[in-house]
Amino acid sequence: MKRDLLVLFGLAGWALALPHYGSEFAVSMALTCLMYAALSSSWGLFCGTTRYLSLATSAFFGIGAYTSALWLETTGWWGAIALGAAMGALVAVVMGAAVLHLRGTYFAVLTFGMTELIRHAITYWEKQVTGTVGRVLTVVPERDTVYLTMLGLAVAAVLASIVVRRSRFGLAMAGIGSDEQRAQTLGVNTRLVKIGGFAMTAAFAGAVGAAMSVRWTYIDPHTVFNPFIGFQTVLIALIGGAATLWGPLIAAVVFSLLAETLRLQAPHVYMMALGALLILSVLYLPGGLASVRRATFGQWRDDTRAWWRGLVSPAAKKKATA
Amino acid sequence: MSLGSWLELIASGLITGGVYALVALGLNLQYGLMRILNIAHGEFLMVGAFLTWQAQTTLGISPLLMLPVTFGALMGLGLVIHRVVFRRLTRTSPNLDVFEARGLMVAFGLMFLVQNFAQMIWGGDLRGYDYLTDPVAFGGAQFAGNKLLLFVLALAFSAALIVVLRKTLYGKGVRALMQSPTGAQLVGIDTERLHPLMFGIGLGLSGVAGCLLSMTYTISPGMGEPYTVTALIVITLGGFGSMGGALAGGLALGVIEALGMHFTNPSLKALLSYGIFVAVLLWRPNGLFNKR
Repeated sequence: MKRDLLVLFGLAGWALALPHYGSEFAVSMALTCLMYAALSSSWGLFCGTTRYLSLATSAFFGIGAYTSALWLETTGWWGAIALGAAMGALVAVVMGAAVLHLRGTYFAVLTFGMTELIRHAITYWEKQVTGTVGRVLTVVPERDTVYLTMLGLAVAAVLASIVVRRSRFGLAMAGIGSDEQRAQTLGVNTRLVKIGGFAMTAAFAGAVGAAMSVRWTYIDPHTVFNPFIGFQTVLIALIGGAATLWGPLIAAVVFSLLAETLRLQAPHVYMMALGALLILSVLYLPGGLASVRRATFGQWRDDTRAWWRGLVSPAAKKKATA
Repeated sequence: MSLGSWLELIASGLITGGVYALVALGLNLQYGLMRILNIAHGEFLMVGAFLTWQAQTTLGISPLLMLPVTFGALMGLGLVIHRVVFRRLTRTSPNLDVFEARGLMVAFGLMFLVQNFAQMIWGGDLRGYDYLTDPVAFGGAQFAGNKLLLFVLALAFSAALIVVLRKTLYGKGVRALMQSPTGAQLVGIDTERLHPLMFGIGLGLSGVAGCLLSMTYTISPGMGEPYTVTALIVITLGGFGSMGGALAGGLALGVIEALGMHFTNPSLKALLSYGIFVAVLLWRPNGLFNKR
């Protein structure tokens, strides 16, 4: 735990210094990096440990962004972030109370369905009731403020993972992940724990959404409720290793670099690479990037050899008999 | 409203519903039998549609001739995908829950791959061609010929699949595997053969659906996703793994959508279908027609 805290401290210090010497492009890239680090670390915090695969991240993100767009002028910057987090958590509590008794694919599909429901409901509301297609943010804080806030959120997400892992709450979540019925028998109030964890994830996503909305200055339901934000969060967490502490962070960095370099020149290649990487990592690295050890490479080598032998030997046998 | 326009409304709902049913049947086969929730199912429908369009516009082949071709091509693709990806996944997953979650993720990966591959090859534009566009009068209502053909063929393929599953030995094996995987293996049903075959047939059916759709509607690389979602809605309506339920659910959803859009307003369509979806999953997670 002490080592984890030290690593986090070092990384945060390095990220803190970046706006002073980095170019505009580097800072913007770092911001994306931090955004996905915060989203996927907080996703892993609940979904990684309990193995409830939530696809609702973009719903909380969008709700946070809208909250911030609507109330930024009245509450100020920090108020908007806090309000975004609170709204995200509130929606998560309602959603969680309705769907958290379902497991596995049902849960994943339902959270996805609810996200789309929220997105379409807000689009419809905008079109029919308020007569707008989006929101323009007029009062926008400075670039450095946004960057530092996002850094703070990312650090808070990792810190929360470190702390929760050691707490009774974290152990209860891990217990639900390995065997929910047994955890229940041992006296864990699984319902409360699950809703609490889900709300915590949502609060982070809401706060990140609230902070990111000012970067875009113009938001509409299609951008901020984009299901792709949710997918990418899940992909990053899974590829990094959802149940690990540093996995999501490593994968977030790798992905943001890949995204920023490839997306502008060859968007389709980027998306195809994403898909292929996802399939490969599920097949060959089910524990995620963070689980790579020296033995993993040995295992791959043995697998390939066995596969090669299987491919070669029938042909060799045929030759011998002929 | 006159009788004719009622008929027209319900019939147009049934026509869309027929395609929904066909897509849902393929997805249901994959999920019910192997627990693979193939989110990329609609993308293969799109591939089928683009193959047909390409053959029709460059080579002048009739879309009807392309039906068996798309079925075969996508079934082959399905066999390859199953062989390369899902066979390993089945072997390395410790239990069914883990397999389901991993399978879902792999399907997401496939979705990204296929969709962007199509965009790279065919571009992001809307495409289409004319085929049998003459209207046919039918009991006081008028329909385009291609829509009627679409409906009839979609129903025919759905019915064929259901009959095959009910009557043939292979179908009995599939149904046995759905009821009890271990029990079915104990009496000598070969999973190693049936799984790839059914995965392939599922993809083949989505290719056929795409081929049929390209006759009537314009197509684009992004067309698959809404159909995947609709197919998910349909199989939750009908119950995971139930073939008759998927057929009835597909037709019902088509009619509900048509009626709902007529009486409220077209921009509510997505809201309506997601509303039904979430409500059904919360209220009857085992499907509307399931008595359990």
